[in-house]
Amino acid sequence: MLDVKEIEIFRGEAQILWRVSLTIQEGEIVTLLGANGAGKTTFLESVLGVHHPRSGEIYFRGRNISGINPFDIARIGISSVPEGRRLFKDMTVYENLEMGAYPKRARSSLLESLTWVFSLFPVLEVRKKQIAGTLSGGEQQMLAIGRALMSKPQLLLIDELSLGLSPKITKEIYETIQKLNKEGVTILVIEQNAALALRYSNRGYVLETGRITLQGSSTELLNDEHIRKAYLGM
Amino acid sequence: MYLTNGIVIGIIYAISALGVTLIVGIMKVVNFAHGELYVFAGYFSYYMSVSLGLSPLVAMPLSVFLVFLIGLLMEKALIRPTYGDDMYSLIVTFILSIVLQNLALLIFGPYPNKPPNLIFGATNLFGLFYYGNQRLLSFFISLAILLFIFYLIKMTWFGKSIRAVSQDREMASRIGIDHYRINMLSFGLGAALAAAAGVILSPIFPVTPSGSAAISLTAFVVVVLGGMGSLKGCLVGGLILGIIENLGAAYISTMYRGIFGFILLILVLVFRPWGLYGQKT
Ligand SMILES: Nc1ncnc2c1ncn2[C@@H]1O[C@H](COP(=O)(O)OP(=O)(O)O)[C@@H](O)[C@H]1O
Ligand SMILES: [Mg+2]
Repeated sequence: MLDVKEIEIFRGEAQILWRVSLTIQEGEIVTLLGANGAGKTTFLESVLGVHHPRSGEIYFRGRNISGINPFDIARIGISSVPEGRRLFKDMTVYENLEMGAYPKRARSSLLESLTWVFSLFPVLEVRKKQIAGTLSGGEQQMLAIGRALMSKPQLLLIDELSLGLSPKITKEIYETIQKLNKEGVTILVIEQNAALALRYSNRGYVLETGRITLQGSSTELLNDEHIRKAYLGM
Repeated sequence: MYLTNGIVIGIIYAISALGVTLIVGIMKVVNFAHGELYVFAGYFSYYMSVSLGLSPLVAMPLSVFLVFLIGLLMEKALIRPTYGDDMYSLIVTFILSIVLQNLALLIFGPYPNKPPNLIFGATNLFGLFYYGNQRLLSFFISLAILLFIFYLIKMTWFGKSIRAVSQDREMASRIGIDHYRINMLSFGLGAALAAAAGVILSPIFPVTPSGSAAISLTAFVVVVLGGMGSLKGCLVGGLILGIIENLGAAYISTMYRGIFGFILLILVLVFRPWGLYGQKT
């Protein structure tokens, strides 16, 4: 479904990613692991068209999407939950969800998507008239996921899913992610909590200072010596 | 009567200020050429109705539309290349205001012009005094424009995407909003609001090319008074300024009409620098 081929990404003059390749098959949950500053967010933003590769290509369903604007990428079925949520804080929960359905193809099924999101996160329906900035951290993350789902994406990219959330809420959200995946949404998760993310995903990649250093099935990675030391603290 | 005058003028100030605040809020660009767009619209409406013989009812919206197009063009050609550099965009709109002012002088000449009234006569208000119908009509047109803008911003996809872009431009693009298009349209809309104020006010206060600076200033005062980027602030700020100017002119001195606004501005800057409805940052 997504095929990233040896992309090199610069931010300003600084090179952040070196020949990074990553593929996601339809129906998978894939985890991208890496320490702070490794370039995970930069990678995700490159798929979204925020940064354009200086070399290499990105294919989505066979179509070369490298060099396309973020707003066009959103329209072809890739959606994202950004690091730090980035909700439209002055708007209500309802308006944030509505904005998620901005792409034309999503607008006609707005009510249907809304019912879907409310069934996944019932608390959002309770809070729908509330200003987004006043929600708790967990609710904000649910709203950020809900907003991303409103465009009925085929591929969902999530940055730092559990950051700042309690273990209980984190578990709840991961359960929901798994449910979503069963409903047909392909997912890439960026996560600090390696053990948790690998438990819920099919495969994983490890990014270290801008390079993919390791990849494999989640079970392989969970048993890998280097991973156990560096990311699982064993 | 002076109060009525203040409210009528205040509403029109509010429209003009909305044009500035929209552009500041969304694009973080201060449009110094605001007053010139107002003046151009005033002259367009004058020439269309006096020289071409169009009804003012046609000339007014047509002039606004023309300035809307000029606004779109300005954004695309001049402002867009400056994104990410606030200082540069300030300089560009500042130069633009000087160029446009001189252009107006060249094309329209230095004499004040006054498009024809839409309506004549006067109406007795509240059984207290007679008030010019032209001013009353201006008030209702302005009110309609104001309500339309509030509706546009609060209720439509376009308005919501404007708000999304002003809160987080990159995130807005990540959910599918073409923020270049939003910029262009909102700059055009800002220009159209300046123009609307211009065509409505010019039959009451004739336009001159040299009057444009004062118009920009008034709009900026209202924006700062109400709080940057706040629509409600524009309305309240416009009304306050309109009323204070008119009461001040009536009871203290007409000579200092412009001064009252500045005193108010300084007071606001000292005691509440984020404006009445703005957000502390
Ligand atoms: N706006 C920026 N401009 C230039 N470099 C940046 C910018 N933001 C982050 N970086 C750099 O890019 C690298 C990768 O950052 P990031 O993608 O945020 O990593 P991660 O998400 O893995 O923590 C870091 O070295 C960081 O300093
Ligand atoms: Mg990151």
